[in-house]
Amino acid sequence: MLDPVVDVAEQPEEPPRALEDLLVATAAGDREAFGELYDATSARVFGLVRRLLVDAAQAEEVTQDVFLEAWQTAARFDPERGSAIPWLLTLAHRRAVDRVRASQSSRERDLKAGIRDLEVPVDEVAEAAEIAIEHEKVAGALTTLSPAQRECISLAYYGGCTQSEIATRLDVPLGTVKTRLRDGMIRLREALGVTT
Amino acid sequence: MNRADDAGDDVRDLAPAYALDALDEFDRARFERALAASPELQAEVAAFREVASGLGDAVEPVSPPASLKASLFDRLDSAPQERRADAAAPVEAIDSAPAEPAPVAPVSDAPVAPATSEAPEAAQASEVQAAPVADLAARRRRRRLAIAWSSAAAAVLLIAGAFIGANWFGPNGWAAQREMAALAAASDAQQTTTPVAGGGEVTLVSSVEQGRSAILADGLSELGDEQTYELWYIDEAGASSAGTFDVAGSDEAWRILEGDFAPGVAVGITVEPAGGSPQPTTEPVAVIQT
Repeated sequence: MLDPVVDVAEQPEEPPRALEDLLVATAAGDREAFGELYDATSARVFGLVRRLLVDAAQAEEVTQDVFLEAWQTAARFDPERGSAIPWLLTLAHRRAVDRVRASQSSRERDLKAGIRDLEVPVDEVAEAAEIAIEHEKVAGALTTLSPAQRECISLAYYGGCTQSEIATRLDVPLGTVKTRLRDGMIRLREALGVTT
Repeated sequence: MNRADDAGDDVRDLAPAYALDALDEFDRARFERALAASPELQAEVAAFREVASGLGDAVEPVSPPASLKASLFDRLDSAPQERRADAAAPVEAIDSAPAEPAPVAPVSDAPVAPATSEAPEAAQASEVQAAPVADLAARRRRRRLAIAWSSAAAAVLLIAGAFIGANWFGPNGWAAQREMAALAAASDAQQTTTPVAGGGEVTLVSSVEQGRSAILADGLSELGDEQTYELWYIDEAGASSAGTFDVAGSDEAWRILEGDFAPGVAVGITVEPAGGSPQPTTEPVAVIQT
């Protein structure tokens, strides 16, 4: 066999384009790139959105909105300043949290009492804190937190709770929640080696 | 209840919770205000966002149904894209945080705006480089520009409405009505409408020139004798009361805000015990960024 042929055969297919390149191409209106980006990331986005929303139909709607927003605002993505996954997941988290809060407020509609939705049982707190963490690095980083810090961060990120909702659910002062979140995030940042 | 001590928080301390989308509305409003002006804060947020997205990436992926992609692509035609800001032009400061997705509209889930342009000539005059986006911020900008054309008409409407049942004194008295009319007629009058949690919507009319603002409430729930709506000016330093109002007997109400309107300040509305509170005691039912 001729060497060049062998070379070609042995060479893996063209490596998939980096997600960052796809996002940049998306900003220029490249639908094919956007499709590739979707294929490569939609399971992660949908997984996260479902974690927050539980209701599958709502999670699908939000996921679609997330990608539509990505399509529209891809020009804001700056590959010099970050990677594609954090950019997308930031967008996804924010949208999912907004939906969580919007459906809470439409369920409450109890302005007169001015109260918040407190129905989530405390058991779910524990569940939120025990979410299966696939990523070794993240799992390792989470072990550097105190259980109280971990619980607050889980409720915030995976539960979509605001600081004062966490305070109410855990029945601890708001200031305590703020401190736990802040210190916990700073510790995670160090453990994950994220530099400012 | 103890908002007073929160107001003293260093705004920088809010960055981790902001990155987790865990700030309450007031803190979020004042943080985003500070964020827009501070590259250091933007870098701080970017780092914490990366941490947060690590948490997100750790969730088990779930493939969405195949139909989702198809219907997403069906929507692309009616979803205009922002153009990349001209690399040569130093316009970064225009957008609060270029590497960040747009801040999502408070309270409501922003619906996708129609792709039609309400005021093409106005859009051209805009300092904003980007094409309209389907988010509330963009709609607000367009609305703000459109008001320039219609403020005279708005003033007439406001006055017509305000005269019904007019008193000489009080927050909706004659003096306030004159102020309202002057405000609506201001050459730089801006108008922003936001839905209110619990129903209805509220429109903020403001003029930097006059240093005044007013709200028009439409369709808000009546609160009864025990409670009142309270208005707040929110900036980095926290929330300060701008008066109270009620909507008894009519589903429309308006009120000139007490205190000075400064550009960029956010306006919040909460439900408070009758008579109002010195600091907000509940989460706002609406927050309007200006």
